[in-house]
Amino acid sequence: MTSRFVIGTFGDESHLLAATTAVRREDYPIVDVYTPYPVHGIEKAMGLRPSRLTWVCFLAGFIGCMLTLFFQYWTSYLDWPINVGGKPFDSLPAFIPIAFEVTVLFAGLGVVAALFVRCGLWPGKKARPPTPRVTDDQFALVVRLDRADHSAAHLRALLERHDLVEFDERIGEESP
Amino acid sequence: MEGNPVHPVAAAGSVADVVDPPPAAAPVPSKAASLTPPVVLPSGWQRGLTVAIASGALLTILGFVFARERACAGMLLASHYAIGIGLGGLMFLVLGYVTQAGWHTAFRRVPEAMAGTLPVGAALTGVALLGFTWLYEWSHADAVAGDALLQEKSFWLNTGFFLARAAIVLALWLVFARLMRRTSVEQDSTGDVRAVGRLSALSAVFLVIFAITFSVASFDWLMSLEPHWYSTVYAVYNFAGLFVSALAAMLILLIVLRRMGPLKGILRDDHLHDVARLTFGFATFWGYIWFCQYMLIWYGNIPEETAYYVTRSNGAWKVLMLVNPIVNWLIPFLVLLPRPAKRSESILIKVATLLLLGRWLDLYLMINPSIAPGGPALGIWDLAPLLVALPLVVLWCYRVLGRRNLLPVGDPSLGESLHHHT
Repeated sequence: MTSRFVIGTFGDESHLLAATTAVRREDYPIVDVYTPYPVHGIEKAMGLRPSRLTWVCFLAGFIGCMLTLFFQYWTSYLDWPINVGGKPFDSLPAFIPIAFEVTVLFAGLGVVAALFVRCGLWPGKKARPPTPRVTDDQFALVVRLDRADHSAAHLRALLERHDLVEFDERIGEESP
Repeated sequence: MEGNPVHPVAAAGSVADVVDPPPAAAPVPSKAASLTPPVVLPSGWQRGLTVAIASGALLTILGFVFARERACAGMLLASHYAIGIGLGGLMFLVLGYVTQAGWHTAFRRVPEAMAGTLPVGAALTGVALLGFTWLYEWSHADAVAGDALLQEKSFWLNTGFFLARAAIVLALWLVFARLMRRTSVEQDSTGDVRAVGRLSALSAVFLVIFAITFSVASFDWLMSLEPHWYSTVYAVYNFAGLFVSALAAMLILLIVLRRMGPLKGILRDDHLHDVARLTFGFATFWGYIWFCQYMLIWYGNIPEETAYYVTRSNGAWKVLMLVNPIVNWLIPFLVLLPRPAKRSESILIKVATLLLLGRWLDLYLMINPSIAPGGPALGIWDLAPLLVALPLVVLWCYRVLGRRNLLPVGDPSLGESLHHHT
């Protein structure tokens, strides 16, 4: 299904923030916001849900921790017990540093992998910024226009109240 | 912005927009004192705390008569707990100054007031250390005479040098706390930006002095309770516990001050979030150091090092030793992990209370096994000194808070802090 998309471009983060808040108040569906750097408070203005990546991070870390503890028990207690310095075979304190390291490794790699998968950032992926200047000095707000009671003219008037720099309309299968 | 009504000062932009260095002769509003409601402890509280101090003092004296060793150990614990709140407040300030952080400026007077309780902690420590005969084995000539190791150590562990070191350490802490407080308060009326640089330089010097003096204090006052044993990470371990307890106390104080009015509209959820993050981080740091000390001694398995943990594995000490990392690390870690928890007043109050109890348990495990190796005997004689120390710290803290503006109006980073966003 093809949709109409509107791209509003701004020259300043405060205008972008105000415009995003206003567009959301009018109930236009916001597709995404493109900025040259992370803008504080934009996730609130866009009404994004809290990220679920934290759960991925926690679970990946937890799995890493458990696997490593099990692996160490398996190698030094179950499968091939070795007497190291007269310590008991199931020496939990000695297992903890490695369990800690692998927890951090799994949590770190797991959350980055989850982020890449969720964002579709596979190798060779082409960047498709709505305008190249969002990598330099401009801020773009992309809105989907598919409801009958939403008009481009009304949206444009709304954005112009916040120092709109450029206004562009596109029609396509997916967002620009 | 929800939950954070903008403070009139911030909204009006009078103080908040001071970004450029103000001219030397003070554009700082003279109405500064009326910017926030005064900080007053409700009179009921004041009376209650005073009664607690009086009865605690009475019980401590009785304890000194009937159970001398336990009273002395209790006094050492209470004094170290109290001085930890002051030192922790001071370290929070010092870390902020040395990094020239601006996010905490809006509530900086709170850690300043905590550092202002250092004289109380120092006085209590002084009283506690006067009980050295009943605390430290190395202070007895006959014990040293029959002990080769204590003879070796006697150039360091002897009464005169011990008390002199304590006096120097306490004096250095008090002097630096005083200097920093004065510079900060003076800036209220002068608005002098150069104070930022002065505080930063002062703090850098203090960091070095603190590392040395605090190690000396930890080794002398606590570690030498078991003079045959040593652990090089002991001071770091003690500092980790101290800083967590101070952050926990600060969280409670901040939340109480916001609920009661003085910090309403000034302290944002974002500020709490950042203090909670520090608490979370340092609780984990404490756990890390706790494990470091334990694991290396367990792994090395050398009798002179393991003695410490052998005592702490006797009877009920073992239970307390296992509960310690659960209270001080595991529960705070799991509870504070999600983001909303670090912004919730009710969760933070509970975790902070748990951590304050945890600090007591930690100190109890550091101190008391040396006088009761067989197992813990907990009673009124052990707790009475805390009944003196903690209310005294609270009263003193409120006194310091009430004396000056609650907002450091001369600080150029105040505006940034009032709009702090995490």
